[in-house]
Amino acid sequence: MKESKLIEYDSQSPGGPFLAELKELLRYRGLLHLLVLNNIKTRYKRSVLGVLWTLLNPLLIMTVLAIAFSTLFRFSLLNYPVYLLSGLILWNFFSQTTTTAMQAITWGGSLIKRIYLPRTVFSVSALGSELINLILSLIPLFIIMMAMGHPFRPALLFLPLAILITAMFALGTGLIISTLAVFFVDAAHIYQIVLTAWFYLTPIIYPVDIIPGGYLTYLKLNPMYYLVDLFRTPLFLGRFPDPESLLIGLAWSFSSLLAGWWIFSRKADQLAYRI
Amino acid sequence: MPTEYNLFPDSGGDPVIHLEEVAVSFRIPQERIPSLKEYAIRRIKRNLTYHDFWALGEVNLKIHRGEVLGIIGANGAGKSTLLKVISRVLRPTRGRVRVQGRVAPLLELGAGFDHELTGLENIYLNGMILGHSRKALAERLDWIVEFAGLKEFINAPLRTYSSGMLARLGFAVATAFQPEILIVDEILSVGDADFQRKSSDRIKGFQALGTTIILVSHSLDVIQTMCTRAIWLDHGRVEAEGSAELVVRKYQGHDKEKESKRLAEATRLESSQRLGNRRIEIVRVWLTDDQDRGKTIFKTGESLVLHMDYRPQSPTVSPIFGMAIHRQDGVHICGPNTFFSGLTFPELEHYGTVSYSIPCLPLLEGFYHITVAIVDKDDKEIYDYHDRAYPFRVVNSGGVFKERYGLMTLWGTWDLKAKELKTDLVHDRSKAYNKKDI
Repeated sequence: MKESKLIEYDSQSPGGPFLAELKELLRYRGLLHLLVLNNIKTRYKRSVLGVLWTLLNPLLIMTVLAIAFSTLFRFSLLNYPVYLLSGLILWNFFSQTTTTAMQAITWGGSLIKRIYLPRTVFSVSALGSELINLILSLIPLFIIMMAMGHPFRPALLFLPLAILITAMFALGTGLIISTLAVFFVDAAHIYQIVLTAWFYLTPIIYPVDIIPGGYLTYLKLNPMYYLVDLFRTPLFLGRFPDPESLLIGLAWSFSSLLAGWWIFSRKADQLAYRI
Repeated sequence: MPTEYNLFPDSGGDPVIHLEEVAVSFRIPQERIPSLKEYAIRRIKRNLTYHDFWALGEVNLKIHRGEVLGIIGANGAGKSTLLKVISRVLRPTRGRVRVQGRVAPLLELGAGFDHELTGLENIYLNGMILGHSRKALAERLDWIVEFAGLKEFINAPLRTYSSGMLARLGFAVATAFQPEILIVDEILSVGDADFQRKSSDRIKGFQALGTTIILVSHSLDVIQTMCTRAIWLDHGRVEAEGSAELVVRKYQGHDKEKESKRLAEATRLESSQRLGNRRIEIVRVWLTDDQDRGKTIFKTGESLVLHMDYRPQSPTVSPIFGMAIHRQDGVHICGPNTFFSGLTFPELEHYGTVSYSIPCLPLLEGFYHITVAIVDKDDKEIYDYHDRAYPFRVVNSGGVFKERYGLMTLWGTWDLKAKELKTDLVHDRSKAYNKKDI
């Protein structure tokens, strides 16, 4: 056998489930890669327009929203479509990742009852596919920016970091709601309602300055406020985000990921017990 | 053999699998509370009641490298749970499990198969779910396709495969690499006879190369011939442990006792099984041997006597008493009656007993059901009819009698007259299998 290293399993490994899960996930990285690939493949095989559709879809939604909001509400924003689309892309990445992670655990549940797999493989592969989607959806954004003559600034170099921070937050949140989905069938349903509310509580379609001063403090309790800011500032304002946003965003994403991983790796064992 | 089969890293005399006071409990809510809303409401009302079901209780087990361990026990005794604990699908509720080496569970073949993907893509998907790397799978790809016998179909989507093809592919991927530990759950019945032989050879090959094997089977023969050691699980506890023969013997003793009880209970007649106008009623039916000892488990070659008590409602002229034997799967084996045997009875007025004796039972191992009936002299009117109401079981005696193919033995004899031999070799079966010897 090529893999001469002996695989050892100890149900009470000294590092606890937190580290054991991480180690096992690394061992199954090939599967992770394959699941992401299959995910992308099946997604684009199904529709006639294929990849083109993923590019068109946000453009269409953005057009509708841009017309609606810029004429109806007359936001005093230059290049509102860029503002809107940059926020929308990041929000979609977050909501899709968490939703897909939750769906994947329900699909993977039947597998987990029959065979051993690191349980996080489903959430992490959901994140992987959505990351690829996010990168693809940057293309229509850049096309619009060019069409509107919006400047491209060196601050765009900050984008990968902003995406990474959001990805960590999304994975952490995804793991927490996946844990809930393991125990309750209506978790998915309730989460959809939460997501809708969350969407309107985040400055995505509206500018921050329409919020009356007193309410801004409450808005800032929302972690997505900072994550959207980190992503949008380099794109829309062409400058690096404030250190305040960066620090708070980092704090949120690290604590969410640690908490999510901790809860999920401890509770996910119950999945195989659910009949 | 390919070069991949090297010696294993030595485990230094430690057990390969070590279970210490392993217990598994399933929490069964008294009512299912699958929704978050309901849970919250009940939580507030403090109205959550659970009931813990211990599928495994305090199992201690050490399995060393190269052993073939058999696990026997009734359905629901915890065999599958134990396998799941070892293959780390279930983390035990209590206790500790340690396993050294890769476990290949032949429990769920083709886990994660995606029917929209091709056979080839599924080899990678399934193989990686089993924990193999892409590189290793690529190296074994030709072998897998060859072993599964799917060369022409490997690029077709899986939904076009027959169930046999799926099973073969699943088996080939699962056994593509020699595991340190192999878990087999009655899997040898995959595919056609040819593939079954191939797969069982594959498993035996692993065994010869030092793979530790855990085998669950309902066939005690398989356990006895293949296993070096066995455990008997009963209600989640290890009831007996030791050499395969010893454990099988203990289990059989217990099993027979329980089964006699069960068969006797199964003899209660259900109304759907009963026909007829009850002009003559069958009031009791029981089975014995020729020494009049009541029993429900017989060995091939033993005597079986069927007794039925009848009671006429009114005097009836020459009724026909009959019986039939069906195998569990519905095969009708025989249907003798008093008319066929040329018996006519005078007018029956009072109750009595009719019996049918089989001096030397020719049926082979299996489950059977007896039907009893009383009809009128022209076989037109049914007086009473108990359809397959009386079960019995035939077991292989395991002694000199070895026949096991088909339904029954014909008590035939073999005879060989070889030209070059001086003396004729004759084996008279009727002597060898005289029922007193069995």
